[in-house]
Amino acid sequence: MTPAWTIPSAFAGALLVLLLPARMAMASRVVALVAAIVGALAAGVSCLARLRDPDAGIWSFNVPWVPEPGIRFHLAADGLALTLLFLTGITAIAGVLFSWNVEKRPRAFFAWFLTIIGGAYGVFLSRDAFLLFVFYEIVILPKYLLIAIWGSTNKEYGAMKLTMYSIGASALILLGIATAYAAAGGTSFDLMHLASANYSDGLQAWAFPVLFLGFAVLAGVWPLHTWAPTGHVAAPTAASMLLAGVVMKLGAYGALVVAMPLFEQGFEQWKPVIAGLAVTGILYGALTALTQKDLKFVIGYSSVSHMGFILLGLAVANHWGLRGAVMQMISHGIIAGLLFGIAGRVVYERTHTRDLMALKDFDLWKTLPGAALGFTLATAASMGLPGFSGFVAEISVIIGLWQKWPWLTALVALGIIVTGAFSLRALHRAFFPERSPSDAPPAKLPPLTWPEISAIVLLLAVSIAIGLYPKPWIALIDEALRSPLFQSFLTQP
Amino acid sequence: MNYQILLLQLLPEAVLVFTALVLLGVSVGVESKRSRPVTPRLTIGIATAGIVLAFVALLREPAQAGSGTPLVAMDLLARVGKGLALALGLLAVWLPPARGESRNVGEFHALMLFALAGLLLAAGTNHLLFLFVSLELASLSLYLLVGFPRTAKAAEASMKYFLFGAVSAAFMWFGLSLLYGFSQSAMLPVIGAKLGADPGSLLAMAGLLMFLAGIGFKLAAAPFHYWAPDVYQGGPATSVALVSAASKLVGIVVLVRVLSLGFQAAAGSADWGNMTAGWSLWLAVLAAVSMIFGNLLALAQTSMRRLLAYSAVANTGYLLTAVVANGSKSSGAALFHVVVYGLATLGALAVTAAVERERGDDRITSFAGLIHRSPFQAVCLLVFLASLAGIPPLAGFFGKFAIFSSVLAESTREGNPGLVWLVGLGAVLSAASLYYYLTVIKQAFVFQSGQSDSGRLPASHALCIGVAALALVLLGLCPTMISASIARAVGSLMP
Repeated sequence: MTPAWTIPSAFAGALLVLLLPARMAMASRVVALVAAIVGALAAGVSCLARLRDPDAGIWSFNVPWVPEPGIRFHLAADGLALTLLFLTGITAIAGVLFSWNVEKRPRAFFAWFLTIIGGAYGVFLSRDAFLLFVFYEIVILPKYLLIAIWGSTNKEYGAMKLTMYSIGASALILLGIATAYAAAGGTSFDLMHLASANYSDGLQAWAFPVLFLGFAVLAGVWPLHTWAPTGHVAAPTAASMLLAGVVMKLGAYGALVVAMPLFEQGFEQWKPVIAGLAVTGILYGALTALTQKDLKFVIGYSSVSHMGFILLGLAVANHWGLRGAVMQMISHGIIAGLLFGIAGRVVYERTHTRDLMALKDFDLWKTLPGAALGFTLATAASMGLPGFSGFVAEISVIIGLWQKWPWLTALVALGIIVTGAFSLRALHRAFFPERSPSDAPPAKLPPLTWPEISAIVLLLAVSIAIGLYPKPWIALIDEALRSPLFQSFLTQP
Repeated sequence: MNYQILLLQLLPEAVLVFTALVLLGVSVGVESKRSRPVTPRLTIGIATAGIVLAFVALLREPAQAGSGTPLVAMDLLARVGKGLALALGLLAVWLPPARGESRNVGEFHALMLFALAGLLLAAGTNHLLFLFVSLELASLSLYLLVGFPRTAKAAEASMKYFLFGAVSAAFMWFGLSLLYGFSQSAMLPVIGAKLGADPGSLLAMAGLLMFLAGIGFKLAAAPFHYWAPDVYQGGPATSVALVSAASKLVGIVVLVRVLSLGFQAAAGSADWGNMTAGWSLWLAVLAAVSMIFGNLLALAQTSMRRLLAYSAVANTGYLLTAVVANGSKSSGAALFHVVVYGLATLGALAVTAAVERERGDDRITSFAGLIHRSPFQAVCLLVFLASLAGIPPLAGFFGKFAIFSSVLAESTREGNPGLVWLVGLGAVLSAASLYYYLTVIKQAFVFQSGQSDSGRLPASHALCIGVAALALVLLGLCPTMISASIARAVGSLMP
């Protein structure tokens, strides 16, 4: 299996689900699950093949698409793309499993869900700026519809806000890419071609922030992060998982492979600003999460905080920083998916509340011990405890930061402490409440179903596997970072 | 003049006019013989046959240049423009008149063919007088088509359209007479040569300015757009489809032809920091005002047709942005986008007409629950609106992207900021436009409808919707299907 299977599996799955007769809800779930598994398997097998034989050429697919403006259908799977494809595949499987009980128009639900997955695969594989932008934009409408139709709390507002932020950011990306295309001679959108062109300093000074900001909005950069918490909370569980787990990574990935290589001098100028915004985001997200009453809002703001580490790693732009940023993309993708899955699906569907005070009455560690165990482990991973993927990622970013701006690490350390505080607070209030014996006994809750258990186990297993044995992932990422695309801005300490 | 060659050169238009006469005859014949009016099915069939025949006539190799009349230009731009206008006109014909509007459908479709013939003639001439007459043939037919149902709303729309149109025609006419006074010729190449020798001529500039005001009216560019919302709302959907798609396409063809052949010397510049008077600057102002007005006013609409009217104004802004850059790639992008825009608006109007059949009005809330009532219409509506908003993989995305990137490529050189200001404005406003398209999508997909008693759509109505949606998907996946011939057509006029 090659990476070629990923994009078609998702889109074909979406189409197939739509073609099923309306009453076959079960069949639509199975088709969606199979499509997700095929994509994840293709990504996993390709990762293994790449590790086994790192000297072989990378898989690529390159045909002309629209010759006149110079657009090529150019896909390539280096280690960076492969790890993110794997993340997308795992999130897709878990998302389908956590959506097993969707009864309202399941065919449309899974079709839109798989469309987002296909778009994400496409972004990670694209090596042509136009093609990347096409896949990037494909996810906008499905995101809106998933939230607006299947969402909860304030869903129309959350969906519209998220969509307008996304499309506004896309306008900036369009402007940035079109500017680079024009300045590079107006012949090709190929990323390598655009990255190797010489842009004047004046152009880079304004085009870099435009292009970078366009991607960074989707990555949840402070102060344009506000779409993320409201969107995540309003979204149905699978969409929250996708948004936090995969879609936010599309922004970070675009910043890494498009904005930074194209305008490396602009990047050099704006580095301190990005780092400042990233650290602000880490602290602001963590502090805000500390005061939330809704469990999903806690996770939403924690995503803003964790995405700050990715942006910080990108701003540091040395080997440790970039490696850490990519590791954090994978790690946060898995962990945020897990947290949203348990909070939004396992708990909310049974208790119909996410209010931290109201959850007290359910005494969840007794009535839903499996969920409590899963959430505890996920919280530990989210706090960056050793043994989980978050540790590997955040420690790499911090080492990189120490090499570049040692004094900033103090602020980041503060952010990590607050992260521990809000994580433990939410865990404590939601799952291990203090109850006096006089309280009414908690209501009986239905036990965990097998799709829920398998999704939780899958995500936890991946996070722990990366945490205990990060070597293959680091090998894949390091190999990809040697690509000429990144050499113009990658600083060696 | 050799009349045989003239006939061959104008064969497509002749076929259209002949078919229109046949339609009139058939409808009178049927009505007097069976004492009931002719059915839309029959007249749509005849009109379709006429348009297809005209298309076949167009595909023939052109007659030798120079042997016919100088009034008719047989260049590639004329042929491509005529072909695309016929295609968009055919889709409009397939959209049947609503129940109350179906009296005298024979006359209605005959008028559509007359309008189409006028548009075709306008797309293929380098002679300003002939251009004016052709545009008036099209416009007079369109005024009648908008007022055809004889309801108060339609009469008001038609009257507004006519009054604004008459004033703009007067402007255009006056401008043309000034241009004639300047160059003693109505032929574009002659005017171009004269203007090259005397680029600053006040007479020519005044004439051009008035001509552009007239074209601005046809294209619904702000501030000449005041007729658009009322016409879109009051006229029959079929007429509006013709106004919004084929007529706009021909407007762009005419604009590109006139400016590139006749007025290269008066282009001026709209580049940031280097603005000089000339049509580039004037059109850049029109483009900016249209994008701002159209997009902002569309946000406030509660009627789908008025929303589409303001979206038409906004899209004129994008199209003019491409014309401003004055290059062959950007002009090609403008032509591509106007086709794609026409398909999407025509389709959205057709779905609106279907909703009106069922719900009786075009309020956006009447679209509620369309996905449950008619999944076909709802999915096609999604395609149309997403294409208008520029979401890939639909053709509207490619059209807008092609405009913005080619304008930047042609206007920015050696650190010159060029038209970045206009493109930036367009990109941001185009992103904002997703908001109002989403309000309709939200009604159709998210909300539930009250009742569901959908009568079957006439076959040609469904065909119109389906073909337009399919075309947008195919053109999005494979834009070269038309963009290659458009590029060659524009390249034959501009270096």
